[in-house]
Amino acid sequence: MLELRPILSALWRHKVSALLIALQLGLTLAIVSNALVVIDERSERISRPTGLAVEDINSFSFLAIPEDYDKFEAFRLDLDMIRSLPGVASATISNHVPLSGSGSASGFYTEPNKETGGISANYYTVDEHFIDALGMKLTAGRGFSPEEVMQVGATSSERPTVAVVTQKFADEVFPEGNALGKAFFLGGDDHPIEVVGIVERNLGPWPNSSVAGRGVFYPAIMDQWFYYIVRAEPGQRDAVLKLVEEKLAERDPNRVINADTMEEQKAQQYASDNTMIKVLASVVILLTFIVALGIVGLTVFWITQRQKQIGVRRALGATRSAISRYFLLENLIIAVTGIALGAAAAQVFNGFLASEFNQPALPPIVTISCALFLLGVSLAAALVPALRAANISPATATRSV
Amino acid sequence: MIGYYISLALRSLRSTPILSALMVAAIAVGVGAAMTTLTLNYMMSRNALAEKNEVLYAVQLDSWSATNGVDNSSEMPWQVTYQDAVRLLRSDIPSNQVAMHRWGGPITLENSEIRPFIADARVTSRDFFALFDVPFIYGGTWTAEADNNPVQQIVLSEKTNDRLFGGENSVGRSVNFNGAAFTVVGVTEHWQPSPKVHDLNNGHFNDSAEIFLPFGLHRQFEIYPWGNTNGWKSEEINSYEDRLNSDMVWLQYWVQLDSAEQVERYGDFLTGYIREQKAQGRFPRPLKFGLSHPSEWLTLNEVVDGDDRMLSWLSLAFLLVCLVNAVALLLAKFLRKAPEAGVRRALGASRQSVFSQHLVESGCVGLAGGLVGILLTLAGLGLIRQLQMGYMDRVAAMDWAMMLAAIGLAVLSSLLAGLYPAWRISRTNPSIYLKTQ
Repeated sequence: MLELRPILSALWRHKVSALLIALQLGLTLAIVSNALVVIDERSERISRPTGLAVEDINSFSFLAIPEDYDKFEAFRLDLDMIRSLPGVASATISNHVPLSGSGSASGFYTEPNKETGGISANYYTVDEHFIDALGMKLTAGRGFSPEEVMQVGATSSERPTVAVVTQKFADEVFPEGNALGKAFFLGGDDHPIEVVGIVERNLGPWPNSSVAGRGVFYPAIMDQWFYYIVRAEPGQRDAVLKLVEEKLAERDPNRVINADTMEEQKAQQYASDNTMIKVLASVVILLTFIVALGIVGLTVFWITQRQKQIGVRRALGATRSAISRYFLLENLIIAVTGIALGAAAAQVFNGFLASEFNQPALPPIVTISCALFLLGVSLAAALVPALRAANISPATATRSV
Repeated sequence: MIGYYISLALRSLRSTPILSALMVAAIAVGVGAAMTTLTLNYMMSRNALAEKNEVLYAVQLDSWSATNGVDNSSEMPWQVTYQDAVRLLRSDIPSNQVAMHRWGGPITLENSEIRPFIADARVTSRDFFALFDVPFIYGGTWTAEADNNPVQQIVLSEKTNDRLFGGENSVGRSVNFNGAAFTVVGVTEHWQPSPKVHDLNNGHFNDSAEIFLPFGLHRQFEIYPWGNTNGWKSEEINSYEDRLNSDMVWLQYWVQLDSAEQVERYGDFLTGYIREQKAQGRFPRPLKFGLSHPSEWLTLNEVVDGDDRMLSWLSLAFLLVCLVNAVALLLAKFLRKAPEAGVRRALGASRQSVFSQHLVESGCVGLAGGLVGILLTLAGLGLIRQLQMGYMDRVAAMDWAMMLAAIGLAVLSSLLAGLYPAWRISRTNPSIYLKTQ
């Protein structure tokens, strides 16, 4: 540590350049640590379990060309046909497809005739095959029987008497537990709907909304909004997509068919989170790279400037490792200064992001790991020039230029 | 003199290729990141209705529940109910007014080889084309009668007309939409506002309608909108008529008011209308309506959202790091050439001319950085288009203005970065270098 004094006095002579490097490291720490927090939050969001067999599911809908089209008859024929196709594991019909961005939500109450204080949740109308077709897991109670499934038009006022709900819905609407067998109500209505089954999970149509995960399933088929949800045997999804699309058109050419994979729809729902992750990751990588290059550039410059002094030191008996150590120590002093400033800046920047854009708080562990990482990058960037400096011959000292 | 400085700068940059490349890279990456997000924000905040911004207004009526506002906030609903839309349309104050919503269905031609396809439709009152300045290639809008009665007339977009009729004048021809025969009355020129300010529901940058249908068709086709429908109270809906008379909101409403006097009269009209409805037990909230210009409407709807703004802040911070980097590298480079500057000073160059010479050199670095930065911006926007899966294709694109801005930003920031290093070198004391040489 004897070298500390000469290093400090040498740094003082190059205070602007040293400060610029420290500033870069500090700003980088502030940006990188905050970017990592956002990346972490978004990745966690995307990797939440959906409760669905996302990789195996296709959905289909059609629009009929003639005006007076018997849709309920078409549903029956289509579903019978789809279920008989090779590679199809299960199929149901629903008013909406989970993770598709299109859905319905309503308020639910534990007491009749209430208008305020309910819990909003997504609701689906489905036939008796829905648990299997969506790849969900029934954790309590039962699914629907074919006799329970009603046929309803868009303006039908018929209401279901039973429902299957998600665990999250059950926990939030009936916090005292034992939701099975209990009844809930629609707003301003006195018709009880009994919970007959609970499924583990279903993220719903809008995974980034506040209702995500609260789901209610009714045994009903609607002719206004409908999708066939078809789960394929593992690995058969794309073949089934093509086959079902073809067969639907073949069974009745008087309509236009639309087909989607659930995986693609899920990706669409998370497109902006995914963009954020990729863009921020590029920023982190580029920034680290730029800062490292800047450190290499400046260290090389300092060494060329001090070539003569290095030669003198070597001539006076300093070892090679003493020369390298000198430059690494110098770099360490600058880096630690910058990173200490950066840690403070990171907190300020995080405060701004949290208040302006609702971003998560920056945990100290992230700042510390980023700081250590940047310290490593800084030393690594200085290492090669510092080792090269050790090769400067003592004879340099004797030359005049 | 500038020419001489530039040639000096180029020679100096060539003499230290690695350091020069590092500086150009630092500026380019900074400019690339900043311009990618700034371009996105710039394209997202464009106002396609800027020319008529002062005379157009999006109409909002606070018809919501007494107990909780929309999304539990105090804001007004974004859309209006069918019953209100129909009554507002009876006013003769606005120069043009539009009640509309999105719909769609299968479209085809009788006796044709063309395969039926789903057309995205806009069901609207007839002023739509005049209000939004949508130009016609053939024909025009439908008859006034079609806004109140079922008249099967249709306006096609240029793209749909190309697809169905090969671009011919199709006015008077018949198409089959949703199982019924419609007569073509007009074909519009390509019209694609982005963001689509006239209807910001269900995405801000999607495609505009492919066909336009009159407002009088609701009962005949029992039209359910392809958009958002929001309600706040439990209503007994047993028929389509019940739905039309419900308090659910699902239509967009726009008016054109050309003079201050008209605006005032229309405000009075809306006040009167809401009072009248309150007397009948509707509109339980305090009397409130909204008239927003397109520019205000874009802001209210947060077309540029938090993520976008956060990214621009972040990329500006990124540019700052790159600039600090460039300052450090320029300083290193200039100081290395201090002997040269010393000689120039000794030969009679003023401090100012040494300063300008080095500033020109920084500017050259900036120019090169800007050019590479444009390439990086294009790559960045390409990445975003890909990540957004087609949704942002029209937005994540650079126009000439943004390319010039990229160069400008690069040169400006490199000049800023060069200020201190150039000043420092211009202070060189010539005598030191004369002694050692």
